[in-house]
Amino acid sequence: MKSGYLARGSENWLLRAATVALMATGLTMASASAQDGLGTAEKPIQLRVIANSAFSHTWQSVLVPEFNKVYPNIKVTIDGVPYNEHLAKLMLEATSADPEYDVLVIDDPWTPQLAQLGALVDLKGPKVAPITSAEYDWADFNSAPLASGEWKGVQYSIPVRSNMLLMFYNRAHYKKAGLPEPTPALTWEQYFEQAPKLVQDMNGDGTVDAWAVDTFFVRDQLTPPIWQAILNANGGSLLDGKGVPAFNNEIGVAALEKHKKLLEYAPPGALGHGLQESLQTFRQGAVATMFMWGSVYKATGVDPKASTLTLKELGMQVMPVGSASAGTHRGIWTAGISAKTKQLNASWAFVEWLTSKRGEKINVSLAGSFPARKSTLNAPSEDWMKPVFSTLQESYDVAAKGRMWRIRSPRSDATQQILADEVARALAGQVSPKEALDVAAKRIAKVLK
Amino acid sequence: MTQVIAGQRRRYGRLGDLLVRWSFMLPTIVLLMAVLAYPIFYTLEISFSSFDMSIFGAGEWVGWDNYETVLQDYRFWDSLRVTLIYLVIALPLQVALGFGIAFLINAEWGGRGLIRALFIIPMVVAPVVAGGIWRMILDPLWGIMNYFLGLVGLGPFDWFGDPNLAMATIIIIDTWRWTPFIVLIATAALLALPKDVFEAAKIDGANWWAMLWSVALPLLVPIIAATFVIRWLGAVKLFDIVLASTYGGPGKATSVINLFIYEEAFRSFHFAESAAMVMIVLVLTMVLTGLFLRGSRKLEESF
Repeated sequence: MKSGYLARGSENWLLRAATVALMATGLTMASASAQDGLGTAEKPIQLRVIANSAFSHTWQSVLVPEFNKVYPNIKVTIDGVPYNEHLAKLMLEATSADPEYDVLVIDDPWTPQLAQLGALVDLKGPKVAPITSAEYDWADFNSAPLASGEWKGVQYSIPVRSNMLLMFYNRAHYKKAGLPEPTPALTWEQYFEQAPKLVQDMNGDGTVDAWAVDTFFVRDQLTPPIWQAILNANGGSLLDGKGVPAFNNEIGVAALEKHKKLLEYAPPGALGHGLQESLQTFRQGAVATMFMWGSVYKATGVDPKASTLTLKELGMQVMPVGSASAGTHRGIWTAGISAKTKQLNASWAFVEWLTSKRGEKINVSLAGSFPARKSTLNAPSEDWMKPVFSTLQESYDVAAKGRMWRIRSPRSDATQQILADEVARALAGQVSPKEALDVAAKRIAKVLK
Repeated sequence: MTQVIAGQRRRYGRLGDLLVRWSFMLPTIVLLMAVLAYPIFYTLEISFSSFDMSIFGAGEWVGWDNYETVLQDYRFWDSLRVTLIYLVIALPLQVALGFGIAFLINAEWGGRGLIRALFIIPMVVAPVVAGGIWRMILDPLWGIMNYFLGLVGLGPFDWFGDPNLAMATIIIIDTWRWTPFIVLIATAALLALPKDVFEAAKIDGANWWAMLWSVALPLLVPIIAATFVIRWLGAVKLFDIVLASTYGGPGKATSVINLFIYEEAFRSFHFAESAAMVMIVLVLTMVLTGLFLRGSRKLEESF
């Protein structure tokens, strides 16, 4: 009996010891597995990220240190590339036998192009899903920004810096002109009725020193989105259901005429204005309104080094309403992982952290990026964020409803360049809006064939 | 027998001489083949192929398809026309200004060396920087040019919004940049002219104009022709100033051929068509350069 007891006791003891040993081994293995590919203090992992030079430096200086608080053994280097060279660099990277970058930061229309080349990892696929945290909440993303990283049903990249075309306005100009402050219900007709009054003498010296509007007019790929926002607001679209150009019609022509009409109320030389020039005129208080990417908000209203305006003077809302809806345009920077990376775990650790609920909040707060997650948008942590986030949420909804984004195709860059060429010719008066859109439609159809 | 040995020695001597000469030239030939001939032949290959993005190189052979596409593209012809307008105005203007200024500053006066040195400044400024600075100077809203012109009742001018003024802007920037180069060449040429011819003309009673028109100019014609060819070779490459100042706009008013080729290649990723355009422009440039050189030789013979 005793021996039996002893025997049972020793069996139990042995069983417990074995269990503890197994658990310990299991824990060690799990721990080793968790650390796999995430580096050690002795042998840290070097991760290289390619991003746009407009924000790469800020990310390197404020976001990487935050990331390293969680993953101290992954050393991240973020290289900045000017916008116009960015896609070419990504394409070279994608086809290189020995690529330099692990994480690729991609602009909205580029995902199909890179996905087609096999340059990106499927972020919900068998390689990444097992190493994704159970807490990572995909459903928390707004559908419009998340869709920018998707191509043919596969999620290749995730929003890291969301952007939407919005209408900025200077309250002082409206007050001086005796006009009511704009609301999101402002229509294009009302806007053009008010525009002549916004060309005015602000300092009272007898000469006009303020104009109604500045935005993109220069021959550049970012100029057609202004025309497209008007087109979409009036129920038009770039392509029809079969993927054939559908913008060279009455709605498209009327939208381009409106875009051209803006020049009548813009400052001298506005035909040569793009992002920097229109931003400069608005921040110097020389124009009443500006159609611009929302991400410039913080530097425009909060940073005295960059702008003469304060939050009190600065208003922001969706672009004016057309016959169908308000207008906007999606421009989301997303982060994807190079299909040729040798550091998949570390790359995903970085992308997962940056796009997680916590990472996104840090990105918004420290780098001024706009969020894509509903949870971040619903809980603004600083005062300046409140009006911005509500406008942003509204613009996401409008964009999703009106499909307000650039052509999604592996040839999207070529199609955008065609639109840039032809919209610019029409704005400069070299051809009529109808002729410009007919030529653009013909050429885009050829490219997409 | 002695003659045979001497003949052999002469032959070996010639062979050795030839070997020595070629051995000096070989490194240069290899270098030129690597950096000049290989890219040209590779571009030629791409121009007759489809461009395979997956390998980022020439794909299957498509014959003359890319050339046909390019020749049917109105934008290619527009860009050639824009380039031609620029060349026809800018080159004679720069050569005339360069030699004119050189003639004016050729007289002996203190501080001439300093002025010559200052003339070099525009040449050493990077073209992108020059374009950016001029963009600020000519900005219709904030630029100082319109401000100064306004003081004398001129303007305001929309330098970048008006297609004709935008072309004028490019020509102004390019002329500002390259005229000093021609002034330097012209000054050196003027200093090298034989003084006795001028002294003889003076004794014969030639005035300032007669000396310029009948003595200096004929003597300078070969130099002017050579300068024109050198400047032509530089001018056909115009790209960076346009990119930095007008971006080819307004519309396509200043979209010179090199900017168009760059945009087609690196923004639209039409590398094969761009390669075809490069080959067409290369052939055109070679033909025109050949004609200019021939013309320049004829002028040399005439004077």
